[in-house]
Order: sequence, then structure tokens, then C-alpha cells
Amino acid sequence: MRKTWAVIRREFVERVRSKWFVISTVLGPVFIVAVTVLPSLLLTQGGGRKDVVILSANAGSLADRVRSQLSRDANFNVTIDSVDESLQSAATDSLTALVQAQAIDGFVILSSSTLESGAAEYRGRNVSSLTDVATITGALREGIVTERLRRRGVDPAFVQEAQSHIDLTTMRISKRGVTGESGESSFFVGYFVALLLYMIILIYGINVMRSVLEEKQTRIIEILVSSLKPFQLMFGKVVGVGAVGLFQFTLWGLSGYALVHYRTQVLRLFKVPAATVAKVQFPHIPSELVIVAGGYFLLGYLLYSALFAVVGASVNSETEAQQAQQPVMMLLVFSLLVSFSAFGDAGGQLARLASLIPFSAPIVMPVRVATGDVPGGQLLMSFAILAASVILVVWLSARIYRIGILMYGKRPSMRELARWARQS
Amino acid sequence: MNNDLVVEIDGIAKRFAGHVAVTGLSLGVPRGVVYGLLGPNGAGKTTSIRMMMNITMPDEGTVRLFGDQKGGRHHSARIGYLPEERGLYPKMRVHDVLTFLAEAKGVERARASSQADAWLERLGLEQWRMARVNELSKGMQQKVQFAGAMLHEPELLILDEPFSGLDPINQEVLKETVVSQARSGHTVIFSTHQMEVAEKICDAVCIIAHGRKVLDGRLADVKKQHGSTHVAVAFEDGSQAATGLRLVADLVAKMDDSGVFAELTLKDGVEPQQLLERLVQARLTLRRFERVEPSLQSIFLEKAGGAEHADRTEVAHA
Repeated sequence: MRKTWAVIRREFVERVRSKWFVISTVLGPVFIVAVTVLPSLLLTQGGGRKDVVILSANAGSLADRVRSQLSRDANFNVTIDSVDESLQSAATDSLTALVQAQAIDGFVILSSSTLESGAAEYRGRNVSSLTDVATITGALREGIVTERLRRRGVDPAFVQEAQSHIDLTTMRISKRGVTGESGESSFFVGYFVALLLYMIILIYGINVMRSVLEEKQTRIIEILVSSLKPFQLMFGKVVGVGAVGLFQFTLWGLSGYALVHYRTQVLRLFKVPAATVAKVQFPHIPSELVIVAGGYFLLGYLLYSALFAVVGASVNSETEAQQAQQPVMMLLVFSLLVSFSAFGDAGGQLARLASLIPFSAPIVMPVRVATGDVPGGQLLMSFAILAASVILVVWLSARIYRIGILMYGKRPSMRELARWARQS
Repeated sequence: MNNDLVVEIDGIAKRFAGHVAVTGLSLGVPRGVVYGLLGPNGAGKTTSIRMMMNITMPDEGTVRLFGDQKGGRHHSARIGYLPEERGLYPKMRVHDVLTFLAEAKGVERARASSQADAWLERLGLEQWRMARVNELSKGMQQKVQFAGAMLHEPELLILDEPFSGLDPINQEVLKETVVSQARSGHTVIFSTHQMEVAEKICDAVCIIAHGRKVLDGRLADVKKQHGSTHVAVAFEDGSQAATGLRLVADLVAKMDDSGVFAELTLKDGVEPQQLLERLVQARLTLRRFERVEPSLQSIFLEKAGGAEHADRTEVAHA
């Protein structure tokens, strides 16, 4: 036991002392915030004012309606360019040139038939901005509806009133009742959990692989194997590296908690007024999610690090490792992709199946717990299958590992790996 | 079973895909001797040592260490092992590597740490204590390697090709260490293909070739048993040597010709005096003419060389 402890201690101390650990501890949260928060910020804030032209080819008063609707959004600066229908294509060309010259962002084409058919066209640089397109679509719809009703003699003021803004608030209902949690925030938590588990299992799994490979490359492995059982060595390595992961996790958790707790004071340093800070809502993270995610992290890490240890033991160089790790990486990436489907439908067939497969369960199941209710029986079943697989995979890996670490030369094929597992 | 044997190997064999590395090897290493495992590259020395150390399992036969079959790993606290392929963790601090290596053999941490310091001082590396391994010169790394094998004060040292790749200073350091270990009653087993080195330090030897034992025993016995009459002769220069050796060729069974110097194995019944007479008559200037014990090198060539002709199978890679 003392020997195993020495291995655990070495793996932990050497890693925590390294520059890599300090850098990743500081930059990890920055990266996670970057990949979770930034895309949504970019999608919602299209970035500044939009200059949009409405090309009205005999569209009449509809153009004015649409402009007044669109101008309600402070981000849009709308002008009307009225031409005769015969000149529409020439006007389209010159407006296209303006977009290309970045003088305007885009233009809406309305024609005389738009009012009847409801068909219009938008051409511009920002067509991939979901919010911009939604705003334009909304303005068109409201403009067309108002104009149609006006032509039938309905009072425009009444139409305006009838179209007043509708606000749908979403609240998640779980077994314990309304959680006070919005749809977005549960999506956000799910996304965050999936990415975090994926990253941490991947990063620390690869760390185990590197560590195995390093001992093989420096040939110190022979001294180690003459003193320790290969299983003690592998076990110590996996536990030591995993402990670094947990330690880093704890550091992030504590500093995250401190940041949220003292956010007013912290943000004051950046001259953010307290009133704005109070408006920022933080998603609620229930404690059972933390427990489930923690449990699945531990088992998932054990499962994948054992596989990565086999990869490390069966190759001779970093370059070979890059190739040999592909199958294991695929399993992880696949799990991450499947977990995204659980956002929409936590109880769906794919999500339910994936949480029974041991390789995808560690990521998919915590996401299901974060975004919906998972029956206790399913949770238990998934956990039991995963735990049993961990024991089996670790046992098999240890057998391949003890042969692989002393083998140099040609990279073994899958069949040879299977033979090593059988003969050792 | 002899309880005085620290290592007792009985009929071990190891086959790798396609070739035989070791077969039918038996030997016994008594306590307190310096034991040389000799043979050319690829003879099966490393494979045999790995089987002693539990790193590979023999396909046949048994290895007993300290009187039991529990294996090298079980006894790792009593064994210091220096493998042929050497390596350390390049980014670790010197002191930490040594402490870890001792801990891995079951030494308690505090003691491991103080032993590490003691050995660094002994090898003159105390100011490198906190340096990283890859900041050390190759020679210094080699010293750290020895320290790693010895700092837990093992009763049995197993060194695989310890002298290969060493600079002359470290060869000396290692030789002194081996001798001092042996003087204080420890057993040392080392493998080498350099017969001259083995000749100077070994009490007993085992010569293997092609995975088989050629001969073994105490060095003195080996020489007595396998020593035909040997003569060492040195000439003034190479051309005189050529003439001289041609003159006596019919009296000589085997000739280890090094140019100016030669070691000659005489045919049965031939006296050294006969050679000397011929050489003097030919007016050749001799710098040396001496009746000698056969060198290990010549015994080895005589025995293993013959084996080579008898058995031309693929040489096993140890």
C-alpha cells in the first residue's frame, strides 16, 4: 500500500507543481465561459446598428408600415427606396453593391404582390444572425397584418393595440413543483455540465496516457515494474491524476462560489453599478445534480483513463499516441453529441439508451438530470451498468497494460491487444 | 536446496515469438560474491535478469531468490536493480526522483529522503539536489541512476551491463561502489560482454551464449579447468609479430592475435620453452614472453566460439 501511495503522491505533486496546472486552473474557467456564454452573446447581440433599406417596388403604404414597425427596434436604421416595378432589378443590383461596399447591412424587397401573397425577400450580410432575421420577420408580419386589416376598414389604432407584445415566461416543473428555473437556465446548466464533464474526462484521461508513455519512453518503467505490481502502478497513476482533476475542480468550484457570492463587490472594481449586478440571474444548480455529476465524473474518468492507459502502454511515441487515441476520443465526442439531444428531450429514446451505454452514460446522464426529471430506477440502472463496466474495463486494461509497458517496436493491432489481455 | 545461495535458477527457458531467448539455464549465486553473467550481445543475459526480477515470467523452470519463489518484486526492498535501458523522470527534481524510487521499493518516506541526501553527498552531487534531472549532464544522470539502485541498501545488487555507456570516471566510481558493496558482505550480480572487466572484479562467473549456459563456477576453478597452456607474447612491432607468429604456428592450437601482442593457446604436449627457442633463433626482439593463466576472453572464445559453429540458429535478442 505504501508503494501505491508513493505513486499517487508523485503523480499528484509533480502535476500540481507544474506550470501546466497553474495555467489550466486559471484559463480553464475563461475557456468554459468563452464556449458557453460567448456564442449566446454573439447570437443575441448582433453587434451595433443595422442600416437597412426597404426597396419598395410599387408596394405603396405597406413599406411605411414595415418601416415604422422595424424602427421600433433601436438597433435598426431604416430608409425607403421607392422605384417602379420595371426598375426593380436595376435597383436590386445597386443596393447589392451598397451592401458589398458595406454602406448598408441589407435590404428588404417588397413588391405590389407582397401584401396579398405575404412573400418578401431580405438580402444582406447579417442573414445568419437569428435575432436580426427574427426582428425583420416580426416587423414584416405585423406590417402586413396591419395593412391588410386597414384595407378591410379596421382602425389602425385598434390593430396596433391587438398586436401588443406577448411575453411568454417559461418555468420548469419537476416532481417537487415549479422550480423557479427558466427554460434557458436549465438549458444553460445542461450545456455547461456536458462540456465540463467532457473536457475534464478528456484532459485527465490524456494526462494518464502521457504519464504511461513517459515512463515507457524514458525506460524508467523497468525499474518501476521490478518494484511494483503493474496494477499498483496503473492504479496509483489513475488515482493520482484523478486527484489532480478533483483538486482543480474544487479550486474552480470555490472560486466560482466566491465570485457569485461577492459579485457586487467584485464587479464594483470594474465600475459596474450594483443595480445592474442585481439584475444578472444565476442559474440554480441543485445539490443532487452536483452529486450525480460528481459520481458520474468519477466512474467516467476511471473508465476512460483505463482506456487511455492502454493507449499509452501500446504505443512508443507521442505521434503514435495521437493516432491510437482516436477510437477513445470518438467515444467521448459521440457521447457529447448525444448529450446535446438530451437538452430537447431528457426522457427521449436516444437519451435513455445512451445513458445505459457505459461509454456515453457519464456525460449523457448528468445532462438528463440537469435538464429534466430522470426516474430513480433509470438512474440506478445506468449507474450499476457503468460501475460494472468500470470494473471489467479496468481489469482488462490492467492486463494489457502490464504487457504493453514492456513492449517496444511495432504498434500492436487490436488482435494483439486482445491476445495480451488473454495471456497475461 | 542450498540455503547459502542468494539466487538459484533451475532450468529456466523463455521463448519469444519466433526465437528462443534462454533455454535450460541453471545457476546458483552464493551469498557475498561478485557474480558475472557473461556473454556476447544477444546471448540472453538481459532476459535472464528480467526473469530474476519478475519483469518477465519464465516459460519453464524456477527462480528462487533468498530461498523462496516469491520473485524479485516481492523482495524488491532487498534488491537493487539497474536495468540495461536506463532512464529517470526528466522533469523531476533529483532528490525527489531518488526518494520516489526508494519509496517504490517500500522504504518509508522520511528515511528515503535522508538516504537520498546521503547518496547525493557521497557521489558529489549535493548541490544538484533541487535541480531537475534533465538539467544534469549525462555522467551525472548515470550517477543518480546508481544511487537509485543502491540507496535502499539492498543485500543483492543486480546490474545489467552496468559499465556500458559510462565515461571512464563513472566506470571507476561504479567499480569502487561494487567492490565496497561486496566487501561489506552484499551479493552483486552483473552482466557484461566485456570479459576484461569481469576478470578483474568477479569471484564467480557464468558464461552464456545463444541462450544456453556454456560454463559456470568460481573464476579460479574455471581457469584451472579450462586452462590449457597459455603464453602471452609481445613483439617489438607488427611485422616482427607477423613473422614470429608464422614461425610458431604449428605449435599453437589457438591464437588471439592483437597485432603486436598475442595470446597463444598451445597444443597439448607443447612446452612454452619450444616457442621461445624458435623466436630467439629467428632473432626477433621480444618485449614480453610469459606463461599466463588463460584470460576469460580466450576461454570464452574457445567455448562459445565452438558453440557458435555447432549451433547456428538465430541469435536471440535479450
